[in-house]
Formats: sequence, structure tokens, C-alpha cells
Amino acid sequence: MSVLSKDMPCASRDFLEPNFLAVKHLRKTFLDKKRKVEAIKDISFSVGKGEMVGLLGPNGAGKTTTIKCILGLVKPDSGDITVSGIDCRRNPREASKNMAAVLEGARNVYWRLTVWENIIFFAGIHGVSVVKGKEYFEYLLEELKLKDKRDTEVRNLSSGYKQKTAVACALAKMTPLVFLDEPTLGLDVESSYELREALKRLQSEEKRTIIVSSHDMRVIQDVCSRVIIVSGGKVVVDAGVEELLSLFRTRSYRIVLSRNGNGTSLEEIRRKMTQVFPQAGMTETRDTVEIKVDLKNAFEIYELVDTLRDLRAAIETISQEEVDLERAFLEIVRRENEICG
Amino acid sequence: MWLVALKSSWRQSFQLMTRYMFNMVSGLVTMYIIFLMLFFGVKAVGGSALNLGDTLEGLFTGYVVWMIVIIGYQDLAYGVTNEAQTGTLEQLYLSPVGYRWLAFFTQLFNSLIYLTEITVMVVIMMLTTGKWLHLDLVSVFPLFAAVYAQALGLGFALAGLALVYKRIQAFFQIVTFGVIGFFFIPWDRFPWAKYLPFAMGRYLLEKVMAGGLRLWQLDGSDILVLLISTGMYLGLGILAFSAGESRAKAKGFLGQY
Repeated sequence: MSVLSKDMPCASRDFLEPNFLAVKHLRKTFLDKKRKVEAIKDISFSVGKGEMVGLLGPNGAGKTTTIKCILGLVKPDSGDITVSGIDCRRNPREASKNMAAVLEGARNVYWRLTVWENIIFFAGIHGVSVVKGKEYFEYLLEELKLKDKRDTEVRNLSSGYKQKTAVACALAKMTPLVFLDEPTLGLDVESSYELREALKRLQSEEKRTIIVSSHDMRVIQDVCSRVIIVSGGKVVVDAGVEELLSLFRTRSYRIVLSRNGNGTSLEEIRRKMTQVFPQAGMTETRDTVEIKVDLKNAFEIYELVDTLRDLRAAIETISQEEVDLERAFLEIVRRENEICG
Repeated sequence: MWLVALKSSWRQSFQLMTRYMFNMVSGLVTMYIIFLMLFFGVKAVGGSALNLGDTLEGLFTGYVVWMIVIIGYQDLAYGVTNEAQTGTLEQLYLSPVGYRWLAFFTQLFNSLIYLTEITVMVVIMMLTTGKWLHLDLVSVFPLFAAVYAQALGLGFALAGLALVYKRIQAFFQIVTFGVIGFFFIPWDRFPWAKYLPFAMGRYLLEKVMAGGLRLWQLDGSDILVLLISTGMYLGLGILAFSAGESRAKAKGFLGQY
């Protein structure tokens, strides 16, 4: 059980204050060598208190810029950002009392200080004294398996421990909103797993609002309940992870045809399938032909079966494809790119 | 919150100081060696060839002021660059206290350490050279503090530039030697020169340290000029820093290096 108690800022057990973080029509353009780059075209979303949300997007989609605009590290061109009702643009200091972050591509902590010294420093400059936070800091060390490294200078730690120290420093500030930008970047499988498990435990016990941005879809799928996908500076998907997966699961089919007993030649099957379902992929083995197809809507399954029947193809199995977030993400981004040309 | 932040900042400054002790000591030793070379070099040619003052005591005082200025501004200006380089600058910006105040807290701690060190070093220099200055701490410390505050103004301005232009260490070097010029523009020909950064501070410190005057024996109008210029340069420095900060945030490269 977490030691974060009722007097601590993030201890609310009231689940989902729906607009705890609200971003409306955020825009940001950078000038790169006299060329305007629209990093954020128009981003709007809101996150409820206690939610753990994944922010996904290809490189240059605008994820980090969005996070930095919320944190006040980048000045947006326009748009409104509120955290717990506080206007982040008009009152950045007041808003920053509610936010902490591990930022991508930065060390985030002092390598010459020990793990403990880093924790008490970063908590301290957020107004959390050692007296007030000691018990919780010890708890974080325990949860993140950093207890043995408490008095080790960070420069002497592995990248996994360094990253966990950065996460501990962000959580030690006891803010109700925490951003973790690529928290598992460069971590080995074990360290990544440990960090994910710790985050899940901490989030379920403390009900903090955590926004995780990561290229590692397993991290998002594992720890987040909702995902916001950003592409080309816009939000293209904002849905629950399960909802998103089921959407793709119901439309992704894998059909195995027997090569023996087919009434039509393989070339004919290929030609017809390409004509009716251009998105389908076909692979052959010695005894079977495997077709993978993402259907545009639920009714296309009938058309698919009709097409195969007309071809007198010998169907061995029809199954729904196991879809993970990575596949769904790639598909969404691919479609988005097609639409945008 | 402010008190907790101040305590945390001072604790961290002390911890980092102990970890980088060799760097700090070697910096002071270098300054001491430069002083010895200057002092004995000028003594050998029999005059104030480097124009650091009218007398050897003047050179001595000029060097002490120069040392305070360098330490005062470099710590702040290099501080921003170092934090950006080590990837902690943006984390400091996330503090509700604000980076400016955190930098100021750090400087407050450093100023106490450095001013003590400089005082000790002046004593060592006096022992080495046999030239004795008046170290009346009640008179000297407020003047040291005023010069240090002006140096902080310069430091804030350069830190603002560093936020925008990143690698400007070469410019820092130019400033390091450029400030000497402010000390010795003759006031009789250029009366406005007394308003230049550090000029009045050096002049009054020479009166106290070389001339043996006490703080209350100094000319009131000179002290007024010192106070006005201190407030002005510190204020201008902070304004320049704010402008640099705002530009870096607009361009999105606050933490980049």
C-alpha cells in the first residue's frame, strides 16, 4: 500500500475528474532555416484525474512538443491548457505545482549526486521537504528497486537504474500529474518490465494522472488504459486501448486455404483477391496458402467468403488475427499518411 | 515552499561543491598564479604596464575586483550552459519556484563561499607579495557585495544569451578580459565612465583597501552612484535573461545544447 496519504496533493481517491488536464486547439510552429515547420497543427484532448494515458506518434508527430507546451518549456502559438482548472499559460508557476516529468533525451538527474541526494533535491525544489517526504521517498526506492543503490552516485549506475532514478525524482515531487516521455528508452527487457510493473502498482495505489509517451508499444499496451495517437501535429485517435484493439481485432482476418483440392489455380486466387481486396496479403507454404486481410467494415467478411466460394477455394481455417497495439498504431499512421498524401 | 527550495538548493550546491572540489581549487590556484605573474611582472618593469592601477596596491585591488567579477558572472553564465549540457536545465525550469530564483539561491550560496575564499586568498597574496592592504571587513564586504551583484547582472545577461545561442564560451572569454577596460577609463576625460559596470566599485575598493578609508569616510555621491549602477546592471541583466528565456521557449530549444 502506498504511503501517500490524504494530506499529499495526489492522494485523491475520486476517480476521474474528467478535465483534470485539458488541452484545446494547441498550435505551435517553429521556424527552421526560414522554413515554417508546423509541429502542432491543432491538438485537443482532455485527461481525467487518475487516468494513465499513452501518447503515441511517429517521430516528429508533435508528442514531445505537446508535453513541453503543457509543462511550460515551450511557448505555444495559440491554444488553451489547463491543469486542475489552472491556466498553464497565464499562471505557469501555479500550474507547475501540479506537474512533474521525465523528459526524453535528457539525463534529468545529476550524475555526480547519489540517488537519494537527487530525490531530495528535486522534491525540495518542488516544495516537498525531506521531513514531509522521507517515508514516501523510501517507499519509492523500495518500489523501484533502488534501495541498494540509495547512496551510489548516479554516474556509477547502469542506464536502467539511471532511468529509474529519474522516474523516482519525478514521482517524489508528489504532483497529481506526471509526464513520462520515453521512460523505458534504452532499458533492457528486465529493467523495462520492472519499471512498468512499478508504474502500474504506483498508479493503481495513488491514482495519479500519468501520461506516458513511448515508441515501445508494449509499454503503452501494458500500462495505459487509453491511448492518444498523434500524427502530423494532430490527434488522429483518442480511444481506450482495449477498444482500439478490438476495433482492429474484429476486422483483421487470417484465412488458410489448402493447396490440395482447390478448384482454382493459385494465380487466379491471387488475381481475384487483389482485385476485390487490394489490401490483402498472401503467403504460400508447401501445403497451404495464407491470406491476411484487414476488412474495411464488419460486412466485408461476407464478401470475402463469397469470393473464396466463387473461386472454389478449400478453406481450412478462418481466424481473427491477434492484434497488438503496435499493429494498430502502424495501420492508423499508414492510413493517416495515405489521407494526407 | 520557498524556504524548502532554498534549503534544497544550498544542500545540493554544497554536495556538488564537494564532488567538484578539485575543479574549484584548481580554478583558485590558477587565479593566484596569474596574479603572481602580473604582480611580479609589473614590479620587474617598474610600472603599471598593464594599466591595472596607479600603484602596485592599485593593481592588487584591481585584480581582486576582477576576480570577484569573473567568479560572479562566470558561475551564472556557465551554470546555464552546464545545466543544459548535463540535461538538467529543463528539470529546474519545472520547479514552481522558477529557474531564475533557483539560480539566484545557488549564487547566494556560492557568493558566501567565494567571498570567503577571495578574502583568504587576498591574505595569502598579501603574505606572498609583502604588500599589505586594509582588510576592514565592515567596509570591504558591502563593496564586494555590490561588485558581485553587478557581476550577477552581467552573468544573468550572458546566461540569457547562452539560452539562445548555446555555445558562447568564446564570448565569455572576451568578456572576461573586456571588463578590465571598464576599470580604467579615465573619469576626468570621460565623466560617464564612472557609471560603467564595476568602475565605481573598483574605485571605492581601492580607496578602502589601498587608501585605508572606512566605508563611512567615502564620498556619499560615489556610494550613490555605486548603488544606482548596481541596481541598474542587476536589473538590466535580469531583463536580458528574461528576454533570452522567452526567445528560447518560443524557439523550443530551452534545454538543447
